[in-house]
Amino acid sequence: MTNMRNLILGAVFLVLLIAVPPLLDLAWQNALVNILIASLFALAFNLLIGQAGLLSFGHAAYFGIGAFAALHLMIAVENGLPFPTPLLPLAGAAAGLTVGLIAGYFATMRSGVYFALVTLAIAELFHSLAPRLEGMFGGEAGIASMRMPWASFTFGSMLSVYYLVLAWVVICGLGLWAYTRTPFGRLTLALRDNEQRVRFLGYNAHASKVIVFAISAMVTGIAGSLLAISNETANYSLFASAVSSQVVLQTFVGGATVFLGPVLGAAAFALFSFLVSDLTRSWVLYQGLIFVLVMLYAPSGIGGVVEHHIRNRKNLDWSRLAGPYLLALAGGLLIAAGVVFLTESASILFGEEYAMARQGANGGLPAYELFGLIWKPLSFVTWTVPAALLAGGGVVLMRARREIGAIWDSKGHGARPAAKSASMGGAA
Amino acid sequence: MKRFAMIAATSAAALSASALHAEPLKIGIIESLSGAQTSTGRLYANAVAYGVAQINAAGGFNGEPVEVIEYDNAGGAPDAANKFRQAVADGVDIIFQGASSAIAGQLTEDVRKHNLRNPGKEVMFINLGGEAMELTGEKCQFYHFRFTTTAPMRVNALVGAMKKSGDLGEKAYSINQNYSWGQDMQAAVQTAAANGGYEIVGEVLHDVNKIQDFAPFVARLKSAEPDTVFTGNWSNDLLLLMKATGDAGLNVKFATAYLDQPGNIANAGATSLGHYIANNYENAATDGAFAEDYKKATGHYPIFVEGHSAFAVGALQQALGTLDFKGGDINVTSIAQALENTTYETPVGPVSVRKEDHQTIRPVVVSKVVKNAKYPADGTDMGFETVEVIPGEQAIYPVQDSCKMQRPDS
Repeated sequence: MTNMRNLILGAVFLVLLIAVPPLLDLAWQNALVNILIASLFALAFNLLIGQAGLLSFGHAAYFGIGAFAALHLMIAVENGLPFPTPLLPLAGAAAGLTVGLIAGYFATMRSGVYFALVTLAIAELFHSLAPRLEGMFGGEAGIASMRMPWASFTFGSMLSVYYLVLAWVVICGLGLWAYTRTPFGRLTLALRDNEQRVRFLGYNAHASKVIVFAISAMVTGIAGSLLAISNETANYSLFASAVSSQVVLQTFVGGATVFLGPVLGAAAFALFSFLVSDLTRSWVLYQGLIFVLVMLYAPSGIGGVVEHHIRNRKNLDWSRLAGPYLLALAGGLLIAAGVVFLTESASILFGEEYAMARQGANGGLPAYELFGLIWKPLSFVTWTVPAALLAGGGVVLMRARREIGAIWDSKGHGARPAAKSASMGGAA
Repeated sequence: MKRFAMIAATSAAALSASALHAEPLKIGIIESLSGAQTSTGRLYANAVAYGVAQINAAGGFNGEPVEVIEYDNAGGAPDAANKFRQAVADGVDIIFQGASSAIAGQLTEDVRKHNLRNPGKEVMFINLGGEAMELTGEKCQFYHFRFTTTAPMRVNALVGAMKKSGDLGEKAYSINQNYSWGQDMQAAVQTAAANGGYEIVGEVLHDVNKIQDFAPFVARLKSAEPDTVFTGNWSNDLLLLMKATGDAGLNVKFATAYLDQPGNIANAGATSLGHYIANNYENAATDGAFAEDYKKATGHYPIFVEGHSAFAVGALQQALGTLDFKGGDINVTSIAQALENTTYETPVGPVSVRKEDHQTIRPVVVSKVVKNAKYPADGTDMGFETVEVIPGEQAIYPVQDSCKMQRPDS
């Protein structure tokens, strides 16, 4: 019954993903492509951290390798090689698998922090080597190609790229999900939970870990090649540590314990940067704040919280919970408004334009504009507003938390649903 | 009800009014506005905003003020590709970008492909700071314009001016960062050797912004006993190199490209005195009228890349002045063609576009760090004194063979 419902839900979601994009503009289509690619990247990464308990800090290496491999194949196609454009990601898969096997062989000899450091070093190796190898990586400016038409598809529009990416992401996502159901998928979980016992049972733990690593690198390579197909260029910045850390953040915010958790995280981050990055220059700060808050109050991530609610949906009195949840949301919004107000005020008051305005006002502190209103830096009101927002939000949130905790407790569950499955952080 | 009717009436009026409006020219600045390169990205954006304000003060274009939209590429090429698509969705006609050749490489490719796929909706790209040779070589294309110098131009100017002032000497050393820009510099130093009458006594390419201690490099430098050290290094690589040389008590002249990056003079202090730089623009080389006007508008004298970036918009303004779309659709190809035929008088000399590869032929200013400068840098008493302004025809180099530009049919 549940299976049937999940299937229908998935099908509806897929139909939406297919039917809606033609109605969106270019920027939104591009944002969706980025969300899909980031989702696949995070899913592949989570195969290591979520399933096998291996925290890789250098997945940018396989992402970049996949992108460059696909791009080199694209260049060959451009020069006349008969190869169907939709199958270009196979190049990324092959390259990711090969490099993943070699890198994985060395990296998985160690576990824990040492494993993370080896993967980090391998990614850094590519990052510093790539700008030197002009022939392969195109130096600083990178290499570029163009999507060639195949059959009756020209692949000129963003929409056709979107469908190509969607197809690959859905297939790979299903493949990764199916993987978790196989005996080898179970063995992967066992590697995370108790590697010694796996060895005692007669399995070759190192070889198994190499295979898991290589599969993760292969799917990561596919994600990278999808980015190459979408952007039609690649340069060495794909190997940057920022790319590696981004996928770690996305996976943990989304929730490594739930299969679709990383997708939630990737979608949230990609959407956030799409929507906010041109509104304020402080968007990276907000992104960091969100990460810290999630790690502090919901260590199992968004996906973990959602899953916990779904699992307990029958035991909970939703009519009693709805009120406090809305209250908590209101409190959170108040606090967010206060923080945003303070951050944006600070960035204005310490900014160049304001320094210029101060010169005009002979060193005084002229009023500034924020959210369509005029604020005086020395006025009592200007600083009472954010203080009131923060204090009010804090009080509301505390109350809501108490009430929510009481309701959950009365059902015999922990006050903070997320804290329960928090073992993930230790797995690293 | 009455209020609703009022709102309906006013919004209908607003709608019909906007229907009468002409299509405004839209300029997109895709720059590093967050992350490590923010300080440079901000300067490019400031200068473009200043230039556009000049256009709008003179009545805008096509009957409308020119619009400027800023996009943050977060210092990365993939992000720049995303922002390019956002800009296309916003209807941007002209893109400006300066910090990083890698991003310029991404954008020029994006522009080229967009124009191939969307004839009639072209976008053009004005490159303010991507100096990689391949942008006007292998990757050269009709809709890309480079409004800055390249390595050979800077080196040729340095060699010419330093030779004349007697500071060049006969032994040169080249130390550069190991990526396209540094390699371009090294190649340019080799090419200019015959003309400059110097012998290259050593060449080094090193890691980019990773070295904390330049002492080993300075030891090698010392044993080669050069008179002049050519370096295209920027940021920490330049600062630490100069400091290490100063600490070793070496008496060499540095011939640099980025000594004017904000903070360099203050950090290097007296060590920087007497060293040379070749760049696009220096306040001290002019009568000061532009510098004062820029200060009035932005609160400070133009520094680093601001001057030449403002001139790029000035050249665009002049090109737009020759066009009249009569309030109708904006034809970017016509703008590009007009810009090709524009010779813009900057305070340091004329800037024109070379049609074969869209590199600008432009004067290069060679300056020297002195005490009690007219325009002090970084709040010190030191600053740049102009040694010589090399005219564009003298600084320019031949078109690269790899550039095969496809021009629009008309």
